[in-house]
Amino acid sequence: MMRILFFIFLLLSPAYGYAADAIALDSSVFVERVVPTAGGKTKTVLEEPKVVTPGDRLVFILQYRNTGTQSAKDFVVTNPMPAPVAYQSTSDTVAQVSVDGGKTFASLASLKIRESDGTVRAARPEDVTHVRWALREPIAAGAQGQLSFRGVVR
Amino acid sequence: MLEGNFWAIKNVRLALIAPLIVATASVTFAPRAEAAGTVAGSTIANTATASYTDSGGNAQTATSNTANLRVDELLDVAVTSADPGDIPTLPSGVNQVASFTVTNTGNGSEAYGLAVTTALGGDQFDPTTTSIVLDTNGNGVYDAGVDTVYVAGSNDPVLAPDASIRVFVLSSIPGTAANGDRGQLSLTAASKTLTGAPGASSAGQGQGGGDAVVGTSGGDGSATGAYVVQAANISFTKTSSVVDPFGGTKIVPGSIVTYTLTATVSGSGSLTNVAIADNIPASTTYEAGTLTLQSAALTDATDADAGVFVPPAGVTPGRIEVALGSVAASQTRIVTFKVKVN
Repeated sequence: MMRILFFIFLLLSPAYGYAADAIALDSSVFVERVVPTAGGKTKTVLEEPKVVTPGDRLVFILQYRNTGTQSAKDFVVTNPMPAPVAYQSTSDTVAQVSVDGGKTFASLASLKIRESDGTVRAARPEDVTHVRWALREPIAAGAQGQLSFRGVVR
Repeated sequence: MLEGNFWAIKNVRLALIAPLIVATASVTFAPRAEAAGTVAGSTIANTATASYTDSGGNAQTATSNTANLRVDELLDVAVTSADPGDIPTLPSGVNQVASFTVTNTGNGSEAYGLAVTTALGGDQFDPTTTSIVLDTNGNGVYDAGVDTVYVAGSNDPVLAPDASIRVFVLSSIPGTAANGDRGQLSLTAASKTLTGAPGASSAGQGQGGGDAVVGTSGGDGSATGAYVVQAANISFTKTSSVVDPFGGTKIVPGSIVTYTLTATVSGSGSLTNVAIADNIPASTTYEAGTLTLQSAALTDATDADAGVFVPPAGVTPGRIEVALGSVAASQTRIVTFKVKVN
């Protein structure tokens, strides 16, 4: 019995194990809206999503942080596209995308789609099934960063 | 609507002792409409996974929290006239059918209130709305006694996203409407949940528990149709000319009389199944092969062409018959034939 309790204590204890090296990954989503400003111009703002309807532009933000005491290398983040969202773009140069359910990743411009009738066409943003970021540099202890991509509600 | 946005740190060392935490793809299967977009109430769930190599050279993974968004209901509707053009009618006409199509262009199932307006500018009369009828059997055609009469607030049509329904408006035409007069009517369909300025919303009123948001249509739509009075009339004239055997114009035995029958359609629209028949006068005999329509010869036999000569039978005189078919307003048809005076 004591052994089981100790086991549970180990599970609950923040001191056990993961202080050494751990990556925290946080997913959040914002709505991108174009709002008018004084002088008849418009500006693009990111809002907390209160009301979301088809056609709205979303910005997905992934924040990572090395909460451990050792660096982590070969850091790869994979984000499957939620089904109701059509991928639009990312400004992260290290990002690659997949249009085959995550089997292969490359730049969107180099990917092809084989239609059911056998014809092959260039992949379009809405064909994207996964977005992946492969960071070359190790993430030092305590370091953090942000990844993002845009999508539109189908 | 924001459902949850929270930090979740899942350490994979746990996986060494706890059952393996699998980094799962966050594909939520949302029923998806074709044009209207993601169905209201669907959840957009986004989860990312990370893999890395720790300082000890071990492969590790981490999974983010899931950011959930609920898709709200967009209220949009489109109404179009389903008639190819103005609807031909007559003064004092009743149950004159105007057809409209109402389409839910939003992303949630929605009920619509229907209303007809006839006091519109730019026309000569106001049709009187007798009833609004829903195309219950879905055949696109008004079926009296089969399709259901619409009662506002009682059987407001409920349309799924992208679904549409044919709506018939039955009208009476004033007896004072003159030939060529137009009378317009407008059918409006308004979302029962909310209408107003695009972007206006009603919390919690959307399908699936989200908000209801007025779309670009304002949550309502309308289309205009028109009746046009098309009264066509036909008039006939008959003239004759005579050539006698001596080169004169006297009616003597052997004189040839040429009859010219002119049918003229006036007004607007057209008349269908127009036919001309004329008896051969007593004491004359039809000259075989002299029947013409618009100067083109017609055979006497019953055949493919429009004309026929029916020989006399007993006391019944012979006659010519020419089928003119459909004749539009302001057109004329000229038939000629010749007889010899006995």
